[in-house]
Amino acid sequence: MKMDVSEALRYLGAAKADGETLQAVEQAAAELEASITPRFVYKVFSVGLAESGILLPEAGLSLPGRLAQSMLQACNRAVLLCCTLGAEFDRLLRMAQARDMAKAAVLNACGSAYVEAGCEEAEREIAARYPGMYRTDRFSPGYGDLPLSVQPGFLAAVDAGRRLGVTVTDTCLMLPAKSVTAIIGLSETPQPARIRGCGYCALKGNCAYRERGTSCEI
Amino acid sequence: MKFDLSNIRLLDGAMGTMLQRSGLKPGEIPELKNLENPDMIAAVHRAYIAAGSQAVYANTFGANRRKLQKTGHTVAEVVAAGVKLAKEAAGEKALVALDIGPLGELLEPLGTLSFEDAYDQFAEMMEAGAAVGADLVVIETMTDLYETKAALLAAKEHTHLPVFVTMSFDASGRTFTGCTVTAMAHTLEGLGADAIGINCSLGPVELLPLLKELRQNTALPVIAKPNAGLPDPADGHYDLKPDDFASAMALILQAGADIVGGCCGTDPEYIRALQQILPESKPAHGTYIPRSLVCTPTVTLPIDRIRVIGERINPTGKKRFQQALLENDLDYIVDVAIQQVDAGADILDVNVGFPGVDEIAMLPRVVKALQAAVDVPLQIDSASPAALEAALRVYNGKAAVNSVNGKEESLQSVLPLVKKYGAAVVGLTLDENGIPDSAEKRFAIAEKILNRALALGIPREDVWIDCLTLTVSAQQEQAEETLKAISMVRNRLGLQTLLGVSNISFGLPNRLLMTQTFLVRALHAGLTLPIVNPNQKEIMDAIAAFRVLNGEDAQSKAYVARFAQAQPEAKPAAAAFTMTLDDAILRGLKTEAGRLAKEALKTEAPLSLVEQHLIPALDKVGADYEKGAVFLPQLLSAAQAAQAVFEEIKSVLASAGAETVSKGKIILATVQGDIHDIGKNIVKTVLENYGYTVIDLGKDVPPETVVQAAKEQGAKLVGLSALMTTTLPAMEETISQLRRMGAAPAVMVGGAVVTESWATSVGADYYAKDARAAVGIAKIIFDK
Repeated sequence: MKMDVSEALRYLGAAKADGETLQAVEQAAAELEASITPRFVYKVFSVGLAESGILLPEAGLSLPGRLAQSMLQACNRAVLLCCTLGAEFDRLLRMAQARDMAKAAVLNACGSAYVEAGCEEAEREIAARYPGMYRTDRFSPGYGDLPLSVQPGFLAAVDAGRRLGVTVTDTCLMLPAKSVTAIIGLSETPQPARIRGCGYCALKGNCAYRERGTSCEI
Repeated sequence: MKFDLSNIRLLDGAMGTMLQRSGLKPGEIPELKNLENPDMIAAVHRAYIAAGSQAVYANTFGANRRKLQKTGHTVAEVVAAGVKLAKEAAGEKALVALDIGPLGELLEPLGTLSFEDAYDQFAEMMEAGAAVGADLVVIETMTDLYETKAALLAAKEHTHLPVFVTMSFDASGRTFTGCTVTAMAHTLEGLGADAIGINCSLGPVELLPLLKELRQNTALPVIAKPNAGLPDPADGHYDLKPDDFASAMALILQAGADIVGGCCGTDPEYIRALQQILPESKPAHGTYIPRSLVCTPTVTLPIDRIRVIGERINPTGKKRFQQALLENDLDYIVDVAIQQVDAGADILDVNVGFPGVDEIAMLPRVVKALQAAVDVPLQIDSASPAALEAALRVYNGKAAVNSVNGKEESLQSVLPLVKKYGAAVVGLTLDENGIPDSAEKRFAIAEKILNRALALGIPREDVWIDCLTLTVSAQQEQAEETLKAISMVRNRLGLQTLLGVSNISFGLPNRLLMTQTFLVRALHAGLTLPIVNPNQKEIMDAIAAFRVLNGEDAQSKAYVARFAQAQPEAKPAAAAFTMTLDDAILRGLKTEAGRLAKEALKTEAPLSLVEQHLIPALDKVGADYEKGAVFLPQLLSAAQAAQAVFEEIKSVLASAGAETVSKGKIILATVQGDIHDIGKNIVKTVLENYGYTVIDLGKDVPPETVVQAAKEQGAKLVGLSALMTTTLPAMEETISQLRRMGAAPAVMVGGAVVTESWATSVGADYYAKDARAAVGIAKIIFDK
């Protein structure tokens, strides 16, 4: 699986880097791609509506807030996806930090880009599995008003602990660290792109790109 | 029914699958059904027993403190109910296992749960299950060898029951945390499991090659409890029907599985099908091959060739190392380890014995720190049995112990620890009368140590003998005796031999030549585990050459590669450019910076070196970083080059017995509940190399710990990081507790979700948007 190197550079805060930095990122990306493959699980649930917002009854999971509602309003099913680089990445990153912090920072950025690549791969598989269905943008707990507190129920619904080794702390953080949960709505009708751009980003108040008058272009 | 290992061949199938069919809802805790709906659970047990299960797993898999914390029920209550239910259902027809699964929380260093806390949680379950009469303990579905060790130790220390242990692997033969089948087998057999195996995550077809690997690596009965094939990714249904499952399991049985059952997706029909193909008698399996081996979870190291043990983690005669120990500077010790591994050490000897150091506390801390940073097996080296035990307990994998000797006291105190923790052990050929002067007498001590080990059940391949090197300038004839003893131990007892060689040359000129020559002779005599300083190139060269001559290095590949790399590079024409220390830091050249600093320190005072060269150079890189002319990797490379300069300064000061230079103490912590600490570590790297002393409290740090450290250290500045919205409250609480201190330190905060206005609103003094900003804040605090 290949990651998007320009995305890794963005995570490193070095989108415009060339020469040495670019080379370092490309090398770290290639090494990472050779040693780890992102693993993912997903499961499809029917979508219901309750007073508190969206409900996935078979998962026993409610997705409160406006984001989930606007994303899934026209969907009769939703895919819950969890993707991870696993404990192996955390181990590599920990060992890299003990050896060379500069390399570790690069590896960390590559890891973030790589787990996203894993989500892309999963989404391609899902697309192939449900031909003729329209997919919403992928969105995650922690985006907009979808709280991180859904994380434990989300992970339990896809059995991420047993199937991927992904756990969640009492503060709703996932471990291994490079793990992503995401929701993709499936609809009979075409779905507009909704959540790209700063309006939906949890970091909009504190974004280094916005501070410089640019954006991360996601 | 009385427990008899040879009677148990057929276990049960899935519990979760059955409960879901009986209406268990998503999000419900299955173990609570022991109290709420005991009939539902008992029915599952009865169905499995009717299908032929000789032992059933009580519904206690996740009945641990963490999972039950908000339920209003205690561990003892839920575990007892589960075991009792199973016993009632089983009657005299089947045995009942207390079932123990993972805690659902990752252990250090992957997560934040300490080994000791994990042990306590398991111990609570073990006591509860044993108290109500479980017949055996099953530890299953484990993916972290460290957590498995905590559970197994808890079972052995809190019950007298037999213990089965099974872990879950993916098709590549590793668990989610990277543990191999071989590492699992050697570690768990060493720790005293009664049967070991593989369950869950794979179907029987995928499990077969792993089972064969397991069979070759253990003498214990082997368990196979796979899923009903592989799950459909979208709906989770498993793909094998009972008969297909049973056919695939027939191959597993042929490959040497002794005890079988099913995991996810299996039900009583699968167990019934399995029972029908179970052969009348257990197959004789003779594929286990005993071999000397030490391991970490991810690296197994068979001693089937010369393996180099690095000797540098040892304070004896090393001022800088002694200072690091006394200052609790584990980073320095980790650096010493990394250098040795990079130089070719296969195993690291770890000794922290020094006056003023509490070895019982320090040795396990160092073992944990080393295992988090390097992936080689460790040889735990101490004269204190209590320190050995403390370290063996927290070691992840199979370790070696240095050492036992022929003295009665040593045999009695060390060998039982080696047995209990399943380690290899170094036996020194000395006893109450000292080191014998003849090879025959040393051999006799080796034989005595071996026999005592065997009597305790320590396998002979785990006994490594050190025939001891004496100084040739003082006792010339002893060199031959050592060599002769090595040959005798190797040839007559077939044991691994270990030898620290550098002692030979003490007091002579050109020590390296003498050491190298003796090393080659010892290797020729049968030495398999030389203890050396791997940073001495000539020593490793000699070993590389010997590996060609004895045939280990096929086609001289490693030898050629070693010396191809070592060709001196032709100096480019631009060599006329003389690099200054400032250049080296600016360009992030660590080795060069260290070398130039060493040179400069001959004429320049440490403090002036810091003020005149190091900080201006770092400031320049920092300014370039702010402008966007260089990026984070260059900023950090420059900081690390500065670190090499500080290392030279520290070593000059340590040999002069002077205190370390420091521009001030700063405490850093990632707040409670938060586990993402790379940002904090980046800040630490940069601050340290500006000359500040950073006390790094790590991640997931409770507010009280930060306050206590601030008090004890008298630090003027505390830096806190938080990465997630869910951990911001912990940051706020930490600040508020710091504020209540008399003479409160200044507080700076940072992290992805922290904003300047939020920082101000919770009473932080400074907001640091990045590492560079943190340096600016430190300057304000300490330079005013």
